Amino acid sequence: MSLALRLSLPLARFGLDVELETRSRALGVFGPSGSGKTSLLEAVAGWRGARGRIALGGRVLLDSSRGLSLPIEARGIGYVPQEGLLFPHWSVRRNVEAGLARGRGTAARAEVGRVVEVLELGGLLERPANAISGGERQRVALARALCSGPELLLLDEPLASLDLPLRRRVLSFLIRAREAFDVPLVFVSHDPTEVQALCDEVAVLDAGRIVARGSPREALRGILRPHAGFENVLRGRVAAVEAGTAHVEVAPGVALVVPGTGLVAGEDAVLALGADEVLLAMEAPRRISARNVIAARVETVVEGGEGVMLEAALGGETRLWVALTGASMRELGLARGGSVHLVFKTQSVRILSGKT
Amino acid sequence: METLAILRVTLQVALCATLLVAPFALATGWLLARREFPLKAAFETLVALPLILPPTAIGYLLLALLARTGPLPFDPGILFTWKAAVLASAVVAFPLSARTARAAFEAVDPRLESMGRSLGLSRARVLASVTLPLARPGLFAALALAFGRALGEFGATVIVAGNMPGRTQTLALAIFEDIQLGREDRALFLVGLTTAIAFGVLLLVERLQRRRAA
Repeated sequence: MSLALRLSLPLARFGLDVELETRSRALGVFGPSGSGKTSLLEAVAGWRGARGRIALGGRVLLDSSRGLSLPIEARGIGYVPQEGLLFPHWSVRRNVEAGLARGRGTAARAEVGRVVEVLELGGLLERPANAISGGERQRVALARALCSGPELLLLDEPLASLDLPLRRRVLSFLIRAREAFDVPLVFVSHDPTEVQALCDEVAVLDAGRIVARGSPREALRGILRPHAGFENVLRGRVAAVEAGTAHVEVAPGVALVVPGTGLVAGEDAVLALGADEVLLAMEAPRRISARNVIAARVETVVEGGEGVMLEAALGGETRLWVALTGASMRELGLARGGSVHLVFKTQSVRILSGKT
Repeated sequence: METLAILRVTLQVALCATLLVAPFALATGWLLARREFPLKAAFETLVALPLILPPTAIGYLLLALLARTGPLPFDPGILFTWKAAVLASAVVAFPLSARTARAAFEAVDPRLESMGRSLGLSRARVLASVTLPLARPGLFAALALAFGRALGEFGATVIVAGNMPGRTQTLALAIFEDIQLGREDRALFLVGLTTAIAFGVLLLVERLQRRRAA
């Protein structure tokens, strides 16, 4: 994707002023509620007027200096809003196929079949759209956007209206869709786990301005707080699945033992591990029930009010944040460059990508 | 037989008035619900005006407009025919139905319309396949109200259409005449008939609006 925006629009409490250029496959826009994230997406989709310039690929969607603003239907942008916005008077099938009017004939129909398969909507197609659950609704909204053949997908907190277990389930569908369909996306969220799981690049928005930008790891650094439930997201390849557990290689020669549910040997996996779930040991513990004892090097130490966030390098590019108290850190004499062993249970690792 | 003639004229006038006012009421309702334009507040007031003006005043204005010596470049030639009664009823029914139509359009989430366009549907397609179907119960209620209002129209009708049995005499006019002439039994019978029809129309409106809420 190449998306270039320079937008300004007045909002109730502040002005949105954003300048951004990206070639990422998936851009995350992270920020607290009320930071202008939805307004930004609506301006890109054309739902809301704005001044500035938007270019997507080679096409200019908006250039207010030339008085150019493509109408919504000509922008070629798929939108998945927080509340799904399904057409309540239609069946799920008619919702999903609504965007076929953009007209790409039989190829588009085949695409519908694939979208329905990946998002597991086959059993829902004939149901009325106003008679399905929240998680199903968001999957249908995503399918509808994908089937309209968009050049860019905007996801506006598509999981925020769901409760936590459902959120994780729908997240796995988002990860799958991202892998299966080659559509660049902008994903808005205030959940660091979701942003890390889906995005290559993150822009942090606060009060209408971009205050940080970079890889998820770099951009989210500013919001790290010890003991606030931060989760590390790790990617790897499933090396083996046996007896309810799986081995996932997350760095060269480093395999984690994780729950095996939904994982298939040879496939990619996305894992989450809470910063509070990891113990640190100066020497490798022996005869211990935890299946994961991983040698690592201390990369960064960030001291906060409530404790310490320590970044451990596992090898390759793989890093993990670990939360601990200041007292532990002093007692162990942890410092940058030192060696540690990370200890955590199989069940502490959650599978974000697996089929459920 | 006389009663049948009255009933025929009444229903004919009310039905035609509803059909006549429908496109104007729906278009005005949509305009007020979905568009911003200069002097919108003034336009809104103008739309509501026939609601408050005495129907006799409206009748007088229509009479002046439609008269052979009126401002129109041609003589419409409909004064004191049932067509004049249709026109009078339509004008009087307009504000109520336009306002109800407006509420029906406003109840449709405009974000659903934006969504339709993001999926590549034209404005016209979105109107036909999203807005109108979702507003439909409310729009039917608007038309039913227009029909009901036309049914009871008296003041404007008597001025532009007169009160000619079999030709322009509607239930409302017949009741007035019967009371004037002391035919209380017949008046009472016609009142009962009117009440029954009005009851049916209101019941329909109520059901349509409940369906919209659901």
